[in-house]
Amino acid sequence: MLNTFQQAAHPVLPTATADEASRQEFAKSFKGFIQSTLLPGLTPIYETRVSRAFEKANGRLPENRRDIRSVMIHDLYFQHYAMANRTAQELLWESVNGSVDRQLPELIEKAKALSATSKGELRIPEGFEPPRYVTALDIHCMPGGYCSEVTEDDVAVGALYDRGVYLYSMGYTGPNNDDMGRSVVNYLKRNMPDFKPKRILDMGCTVGHSTLPYKELFPEAEVWGIDVGGPCVRYAHARAAGMGLDVNFAQMNAEETTFADEEFDLVVSHILLHETSGKAMPRVFNEAFRVLKPGGLMIHADLPPFDLMDPFTQFILDNETWYNNEPFWGAMREMDQIDLAEKAGFDREAVRFDTAPMAVMEFAAAASGYSQDASEHVAERDFTAGEFAPGGGWEVLIAKKGEKQALAA
Amino acid sequence: MDNTTQERPHVIRHAKGKRPEFYETPGVDAAMSMIMVLASELSVVRDRLDSAERVAKASGLDLAAGIEALELDQDALEEREARRQDFMQRLFYLQLKDADEAAQSQTAEGFEATIHEIAQP
Repeated sequence: MLNTFQQAAHPVLPTATADEASRQEFAKSFKGFIQSTLLPGLTPIYETRVSRAFEKANGRLPENRRDIRSVMIHDLYFQHYAMANRTAQELLWESVNGSVDRQLPELIEKAKALSATSKGELRIPEGFEPPRYVTALDIHCMPGGYCSEVTEDDVAVGALYDRGVYLYSMGYTGPNNDDMGRSVVNYLKRNMPDFKPKRILDMGCTVGHSTLPYKELFPEAEVWGIDVGGPCVRYAHARAAGMGLDVNFAQMNAEETTFADEEFDLVVSHILLHETSGKAMPRVFNEAFRVLKPGGLMIHADLPPFDLMDPFTQFILDNETWYNNEPFWGAMREMDQIDLAEKAGFDREAVRFDTAPMAVMEFAAAASGYSQDASEHVAERDFTAGEFAPGGGWEVLIAKKGEKQALAA
Repeated sequence: MDNTTQERPHVIRHAKGKRPEFYETPGVDAAMSMIMVLASELSVVRDRLDSAERVAKASGLDLAAGIEALELDQDALEEREARRQDFMQRLFYLQLKDADEAAQSQTAEGFEATIHEIAQP
């Protein structure tokens, strides 16, 4: 199945010249090629010569992902695979970064003008200090990370993320990059039709990809997206306005927001937790519990824990830790999320993992490249480690705050 | 380049964090990255030619069909073959240099000896 998915335009999305667009398409195609064609070769390589090499050296077969890694990194096929992944990532950011650089002042002006039309608030506090776990390394090799500002009112890394993450996900998250948020909302609507949140908080929202479906599908709700990246929330606010949605955005740390106790009916995050840290992740759970009203829901859509997978799958997934500047990627999968939720104050029996089916089928024929067949192909894959997005659905952690728990504290 | 262009802000080009090396032979990581950048640019040029054909067609000139139907005369055949041979000579520049050095009996030792000799006061 050829992937011809195309991102939907919106007023603040950076445009590309013909050559820039071709470079971007190449990066997306290269990622697709690596996942569909190079990745499957790792299994026979491992099962034959690599595990034999390990056995010869150690007198036993590899038992865990560390054993596997210790031999795979010396195998030429793996070296080419890992190099290709890393290089694709570099080509991807560079292909977008050049176009953002070319039009940066115009993008900033456009973002300001759009933001001015929004009824939603944009809160950027003076002197905000982003946490070290997002500034120590540029996560997923995105130059500048989420927080860097090269000029006043900068939106550069927001624009870079918006276009770059579309290429990274190869369009699997839909023309507006919003499949995760949309899938969680769908899950709520289907499984809890009576749940009608009035105030919704999206933690670690970056440019609001997953935030907007909450406003779209709960139009009466007051929706807040928070992120530690100033350029990201500025861009998010303008993007939402450009798409006709009044959503509030603030530069804020999910470990310690400035919201009062029990302000929200629903607190969500999407691919946030694995970009925090061992110390921060429990604090995010605590903070979600604090700002939730009794009876409110906390939902984190992120990576499934390692204990659900075989060592070879773990090894493949853990490559992101080593080769894509994702320092917490592997460690996060070893955290006991149920336990963290319980420690934050949720009743253990009110916490569970579930699968929110991908909303990608809803994009069928709704945007360029999203044919019925192509959308179905994404939605109906089996889970394969190293590919972007699980087949079937997103893993979600759901916790409900007890009605009387606030009093017990 | 005018002043306003020079004053424009610029994005950050490199991601913070030491880049891992994948190959044991020094230099191969850089070479592979360069090869992939070239592959990307080749793909860009192929896209651009495709665009040229499509734009021409939309203006009534079916370049693509014309290209397929084109019969090469003797001049064209010679020009192309010369260009291909020239290209391959440039592509295999180092291998050919190696053969040339062998033919001229040039060695690393001789090279160093020359430098040493010429530096003598």
